[in-house]
Amino acid sequence: MAKENTQNLLETSDYIGHHLVNLKFGWCDKSSSWGFANHQQELFKGLDSTCKVSEMGFWSFHLDTIFMSVLLGAVVFGFFGLATRAAKKGVPGKMQNFVEFVHEFIADAVSSGYHGTAKIVGPLAFASCLWIISWNLMDLLPVEMASFFGHFGGGFNYFKILPTADLNAPLALAIVVMVLVTYYSVKTHGAGGFLKELFVVPLGPLEFISYLSKHVALALRLYGNLFAGEMIFILIAIMFGQFAMSFSQTLWFLPGLILNLSWALFHILIVALQAYIFMMLTIAYLNLASTKH
Amino acid sequence: MNINATFFAELLAFCIFVFITYRYIWPSMENLLEDRRKEISDGLEAASQSQRKLEEASKESETILNGAKTEASSLIAQANTRADQIVDEAKEQASEEAKKIKISAEADIEQSANKAKEGLRDEVASLVVAGAQKILDKEINAKANKDIIDSLIKKI
Repeated sequence: MAKENTQNLLETSDYIGHHLVNLKFGWCDKSSSWGFANHQQELFKGLDSTCKVSEMGFWSFHLDTIFMSVLLGAVVFGFFGLATRAAKKGVPGKMQNFVEFVHEFIADAVSSGYHGTAKIVGPLAFASCLWIISWNLMDLLPVEMASFFGHFGGGFNYFKILPTADLNAPLALAIVVMVLVTYYSVKTHGAGGFLKELFVVPLGPLEFISYLSKHVALALRLYGNLFAGEMIFILIAIMFGQFAMSFSQTLWFLPGLILNLSWALFHILIVALQAYIFMMLTIAYLNLASTKH
Repeated sequence: MNINATFFAELLAFCIFVFITYRYIWPSMENLLEDRRKEISDGLEAASQSQRKLEEASKESETILNGAKTEASSLIAQANTRADQIVDEAKEQASEEAKKIKISAEADIEQSANKAKEGLRDEVASLVVAGAQKILDKEINAKANKDIIDSLIKKI
């Protein structure tokens, strides 16, 4: 009995681990070569390195994150690019209506939240909001799907389709925002004024800490929400997947379905909301940076 | 370690997508909406303008119609007076003509009556002469007695 429990526990943590590990390609110190982390794929046999996932250092890439985010970006921005290019004068079609609705929504948010003159804010808000939404929507795909297709179709044992649940992606967005905020702060207040604001008035270095933390928090908020959502999907899958394995209790499939569905419905809110929050905070930070106060 | 070089790839990708949005997608969407706005405001402007034109035209047509009506009524009045005039003239002419015809007829009648009288007188004279010749039976110079006979004839 005890042994069985440990076995189960091991399987469970394996399962969770399996779903939270990215497909990693990077520099392996042990073999002094570039390659995939161990046991991650069967497609490129010669490219395996001797390092495990945890043994790879900074110089490694999460290929699944990069692939999915660029693919989603290409789809989303390609769609909007083509839709605006195909747009005609006169009575608009349905696609054009949709594009104009999205543009109107974001342009309204920008014009109500941003009072500066920078032209980049609208495009930045548009790009970040839509890209994040397209990432987050991947969370609604069944948790097993990526592994299934990765394993049996693609030859990859590990494949995470949710870029938001990889901290690198949200952090990259937040850093871009931070760079722009810094640029516009310096532009508006001057380098001296900006530094003075951070270190001197009125709470001294605390202001600097808050400056850093608000940008880190921008990334972590997005990452945390989606990571937790993904985790809950995985837990639901474990809970009922194991039961369903034993044929006597196949009916457990039903509550699993219901739980999954209800969490997915609730998650739609988070998907859109987190993208919206990221966009609104970006606008607000840039507004603070580029107006005198 | 969870943060790794993926970060740079994402950074690059995001910058590229923001640039694409900034350079192509956002302006073309703005242009699209701006064009639409302009088109609609132009349309509304044109509509109100044509409304105004319509009102003007209807006003103008009303004045034209009124003018035409007065003109027509004046024309009718004129025509009526002219017709009256023509009728009057015709009547006058007819009566004059009738008078003339009557006069000439009277003259004709008188002339023919005179002629008849003359003929009759001659006839009577010759008859009288013949009668007198027969009655007197004697040589009565017709010429010598002509005066007597003429005076006789005149008495008839």
